[in-house]
Amino acid sequence: MKFQILQEKLKEGLSIIERVVSRSLTLPILNNVLIEAGKNFLCLSSTDLEIGIKWWALTKTEKEGSITVPSKLLSGFVGLLPNKKIEAGALKNDFFSIECEECKTKIKGLSAEEFPLIPKVSKEEFISVKSSEFCRNLAQIADIPALSATRPEISGIYFSFQKNQIISASTDSFRLGEKKMTPLKSSLLSPKTLIVPQKTIKEVINIFGIKETELKIYFSPNQIMFESLMQETDHPEVQLVSRLIEGSYPNYQEIIPKKFTTKLILNKEEFLAQLKQASLFSSKTGEIKLKREDSRVEILSQNTELGEHESFIYSKIEGEKFEISFNHRFLSDGISKTKSEDISLELNGDSGPGVVRSPGDDSYTYVVMPIKGN
Amino acid sequence: MTNQELWQAVLAQIQLNISQANFATWFKNTEISHQKEGRILVLVPNSFVKEWLQNKYNKNIFKILHDLDCNIREVEYQIGKAKIEPKKEEMIMPETDQLEFQEFKVNKDTNLNPRYTFDTFVVGPFNELPHAAAVAVSKKPGIVYNPLFIYGGVGLGKTHLIQSIGNEIDSAFKKNKVRYISSEKFTSEVVSSIKNQTIEQFKAKYRDIDTLIIDDVQFLAGREKTQEEFFHVFNILYEKNKQIILSSDRPPRAINSLTERLRSRFEGGMIADVSAPDLETRMAILKTKAQEKGVEFGEEIYQYIASVIKNNIRELEGALNRLVIYENLNHKKPDMEATQTLFKNILSSQNRVVTPRKIIQVVADFYDLKEREILNASRKKEIVRPRQIAMFLLRQELKSSFPSIGRKFDGKDHTTAIHSYKKILREVETDKKLEEEIVLIKEQILAS
Repeated sequence: MKFQILQEKLKEGLSIIERVVSRSLTLPILNNVLIEAGKNFLCLSSTDLEIGIKWWALTKTEKEGSITVPSKLLSGFVGLLPNKKIEAGALKNDFFSIECEECKTKIKGLSAEEFPLIPKVSKEEFISVKSSEFCRNLAQIADIPALSATRPEISGIYFSFQKNQIISASTDSFRLGEKKMTPLKSSLLSPKTLIVPQKTIKEVINIFGIKETELKIYFSPNQIMFESLMQETDHPEVQLVSRLIEGSYPNYQEIIPKKFTTKLILNKEEFLAQLKQASLFSSKTGEIKLKREDSRVEILSQNTELGEHESFIYSKIEGEKFEISFNHRFLSDGISKTKSEDISLELNGDSGPGVVRSPGDDSYTYVVMPIKGN
Repeated sequence: MTNQELWQAVLAQIQLNISQANFATWFKNTEISHQKEGRILVLVPNSFVKEWLQNKYNKNIFKILHDLDCNIREVEYQIGKAKIEPKKEEMIMPETDQLEFQEFKVNKDTNLNPRYTFDTFVVGPFNELPHAAAVAVSKKPGIVYNPLFIYGGVGLGKTHLIQSIGNEIDSAFKKNKVRYISSEKFTSEVVSSIKNQTIEQFKAKYRDIDTLIIDDVQFLAGREKTQEEFFHVFNILYEKNKQIILSSDRPPRAINSLTERLRSRFEGGMIADVSAPDLETRMAILKTKAQEKGVEFGEEIYQYIASVIKNNIRELEGALNRLVIYENLNHKKPDMEATQTLFKNILSSQNRVVTPRKIIQVVADFYDLKEREILNASRKKEIVRPRQIAMFLLRQELKSSFPSIGRKFDGKDHTTAIHSYKKILREVETDKKLEEEIVLIKEQILAS
């Protein structure tokens, strides 16, 4: 194997595929990156046996071949090299050689034969989205799931891919976020509902969030694949393949209240700032209280050791009087993810779910359960 | 050779050819699911393993299998249900009043609430028998006590117990399909399937259940069509040795308007009653609950609560919550005096609700009569008895005077009232069944 590539390009590729390299003791080869020099492309792959990532770049290949090299070491080393042309190749006994300007390095690798095969996903049906926008949308709900050994299905993010709409949702059983999006193109024959591990979605956001290209999503019964194409030519640039979580997602639509007893319209930044102040004086459970005072909302918090705090915020209030407690983190998490200047907060009594939305935009819904009032 | 032996033979030989790390990674949780006409289907836990076995080891695996059995011509790999990894210890969150989405707490397939387990069930002399029966059933569903019928008063842990059985069976026997349903829900399913003419689907759904748990079967009383459907479901399951678990607030023979054939079936298995806990157990329960909530109160406080709340474990928990709230509001632990004032209100309100009307109403309900019938002068045997019981309870519970009792029942003489009172008092001592009935009626009077 022998190829030439620019340092910058190689560094970019390594930074992407490095994300899923696991520190595996049982199978040391998982610490490595698979380097394959094909005809005109260099391909880097890594996997932790749940997610697999492949990255391609155009290269000048003198001799085709493949090898695996410890990923941390390689990316650390390449990062220190100047942005010049690198000549790399495989030597005898699984050594990987790098030559760049004045330096000449040999890294001990492992044979490519042992590297796991990343599962293939059929390209029959796909749906495509605008990469950066899709990731920004997902980021609104990606932090919600909590790892749960007893309920693995809610530890992931729920997706329903339909011809003209993508619905995603996540929950940790105290709060729930739902985000609706529209696809760019779709060749779906039937709607697909599935649960994707939270880690996968976070990696998708990290890797594809900075790209302004089209992101294609492919499906197979047990896997999902995200793929972006190269700008220069019609060849995949990054492919991320992940397992899915088995099980059926709870029927979360039932949770989203259809009515409300009180509706507040609040200035987002101001409300968040006041919640933050109040949070410093909340009790161990993070409890803060909201209360109606005429046309204002009073925010109260109390901590036996630290003291008390109260503040007021003007609000449009519609409906009944109220007094309700929330975990400040749950509440501000949902509000900070909205994308509008004002937010609406709908309440359903002191022990019913509260709903956060952006007025005039029903693509994002955040439902949060209160803390039981005393 | 069985599938298991065959695969073990493959594993034994393969491990000689590959490294230990590879062997552990690629062959963990694999098995042969079935073979047919020379085709072997190997179940693998995920796509990575499938790809790997298919592309790297297939030749080896096939050769070994072929050597063992020359009829084998083909090996296929399929992603099976991933074995559940040993559960990690859940992070124990400090118990707060943070509310959850109720819908999520319940397991969708079985309808069980995973919170109910045997571990959190406090056993005392009052519930030893049902607990032992429940544990036995959960170990050998369908074999030991079938049906298992558990009865007892409100808030004594029947639901906890039967749901624990379900959860235990669900986790120990993966293939056992458990379904928990309240009899109310069952009734409404019957009604809607009749309305939508989907009674066949309804039957089919219950036919492949392996463990059927029905809560509060006393509500089936008087619903004939539902009873009939339930009777069929019961028979189908019973014949196939499927476990049936029932709970009720009274023994089968005390459930009125229950058809005879159902009653005898309920009594055919094991009947166990949960009675009210004794003082020591009530204290033990309080302490366990307090520990769950991460709070602690003085010994004499527990003793006081246990001594005033006698018949209901749920109320014990409620009482504890009151103490916790008091502590949060006043930033100090409640002392004896505070506790007494805290509970004065609940206790007095509990007594206040008993009225003569209520007693008559409950008695009439219990024996499935109309209030009017009891109050009339009818001398029918099935009415005379309940009327005497009503008179007895009016005297015993409310200390009403005999003449006033007589007046309530269509102007009967006070001697009739005295006679009724004495008669029941006397019979209670000898007639176990009557005693039980009266206890149940009293409970309902207090509960409703």
